[in-house]
Amino acid sequence: MKWSSFQYLTKQGLHNLRANRLMSLASIGVLTACLLLTGIAGLFSANVNSLVEYLGDQNETVVYLDQGLSDEELASVDQTLRSMPGLAAVTYVSQEEVLETYKGYMSEYADLFNDFEEDNPFHANYRVVLENLNQLDEMIAQLEQIDGVYSVSAPTQLSSVFLTIQRAVTYAGWALVAVLALVSVVVISNTIRLTVFARRKEINIMKYVGATNGFIRWPFFVEGTSVGLISGLLAAGLVIGAYALVVNRVGAMSGFWGPILGSCLLSVGQVWPAVLGAFLIFGVVIGSIGTATSIRKYLEV
Amino acid sequence: MIVFEDVTKDYKGGNHALKHVNLRIRKGDFVFVLGHSGAGKSTFIKLILREEQATSGRVLVDGLDLSVMKKRKVPYLRRRMGVVFQDFRLIPTMSVYENVAFAMRVTNIAEDKIKKRVPYVLGLVGLADKADRLPDEISGGEQQRAALARALVHSPQLIIADEPTGNIDPKLSVEMMELLKAINSVGITVVVVTHEVALAKRFGKRIITLDHGVVASDTAPAPMEDDEEVAAQ
Repeated sequence: MKWSSFQYLTKQGLHNLRANRLMSLASIGVLTACLLLTGIAGLFSANVNSLVEYLGDQNETVVYLDQGLSDEELASVDQTLRSMPGLAAVTYVSQEEVLETYKGYMSEYADLFNDFEEDNPFHANYRVVLENLNQLDEMIAQLEQIDGVYSVSAPTQLSSVFLTIQRAVTYAGWALVAVLALVSVVVISNTIRLTVFARRKEINIMKYVGATNGFIRWPFFVEGTSVGLISGLLAAGLVIGAYALVVNRVGAMSGFWGPILGSCLLSVGQVWPAVLGAFLIFGVVIGSIGTATSIRKYLEV
Repeated sequence: MIVFEDVTKDYKGGNHALKHVNLRIRKGDFVFVLGHSGAGKSTFIKLILREEQATSGRVLVDGLDLSVMKKRKVPYLRRRMGVVFQDFRLIPTMSVYENVAFAMRVTNIAEDKIKKRVPYVLGLVGLADKADRLPDEISGGEQQRAALARALVHSPQLIIADEPTGNIDPKLSVEMMELLKAINSVGITVVVVTHEVALAKRFGKRIITLDHGVVASDTAPAPMEDDEEVAAQ
């Protein structure tokens, strides 16, 4: 294709977008609505996933140390733990700190604990958080192998519940997104087919005048791509705006869930590039390919 | 220019549109193809445009054998001719100027040439002042002249007019036919397909009459023996 033809056809595509504005608006409306639904479902599922992950991360595994470890031995355990892959956080709690904690819990009986100051029965310990709850069993086994470790206490039951919930939420969420995306594709391709059908005569005429298929397709392709771009931008703007509002409201919430949700909701900064990118790609791909394939039938003249 | 050699066209469902048709239209001819509806006139045009292919026999247009022509070559065949359809077939969203220019644009002709040629051709058909109008904003006669301008603009060697007087009043019909005669006088082959016997007879040109898919009569048949050379495809 010559540059002048390319320019002409691109201009023609944009001109058609305006000339057939009713149909363009219908396509943009349908595509935007589909993107909105899919986007909201996607964001909802990503946030539930993040919430479950957050709650899962609250589980601590406690690694109790043998009593009477020398400073060198302690340093060696410390180094082993801190260099161990798969641990997200490692916090040391000394014997004294454990005692103080218990005193705090039972302040009325603090006197009873005073006797323990000479002969502290508690084990110093490390509180560790696993990066991945899936590896809990292997991690316990590894931790128990370390010299100086007395025992390991882990929330095995709880972790398996969380894992199950997380898996269910992830699968259900993405299945919902997939179904919505599929429905969108069907609805949008029908809308596009309708707009192309309304212009089948025009395509026909072009064929009679001696236009090649590529020559006819390009303006439609430009038109479809523009519809996709506009819808993508529109839907992304709406979804991101609404999401920012939700994050804001939740952040201001008080009570039990307020702080939890506030700290585990994905931030607008994390969300917008993905939403915008996905919407633009989805919009443009479906707009352009949908149009290009819909006109094929009418090119057979 | 156009050669039909023993051409038969059957449609699905057993409709025999053309049966063993032999005819030959030479370069520079002015020919009427006359027939009632169902005589095979539309099929005749469709075969020349390669919208349909002959079931048997051979159709040659400007030396090109359409029975062996590849699909992607069809646009190039159509650029060799200009067709004026009964229903004009102008693109409703394009101005008269753009409709006419479109026939040049599809052949990748440079914009400066289009800018010179289109106004010239619109002037020839008397539409210079209607260039910016949309097809819906002009009369039937003007739409037809716009269609004729589009058929002419890329300087084809063959013009096919399908029922050129079907959708306009009698006075305009005569004007249209005069325009076609003028076009023919510069050496362009003109084929007028019509059902109007009186119109065909008035001009004293060759008349090929189709009836139920066969050539019923031909007032001045061209000899079949000096066959046109088939161009390389």
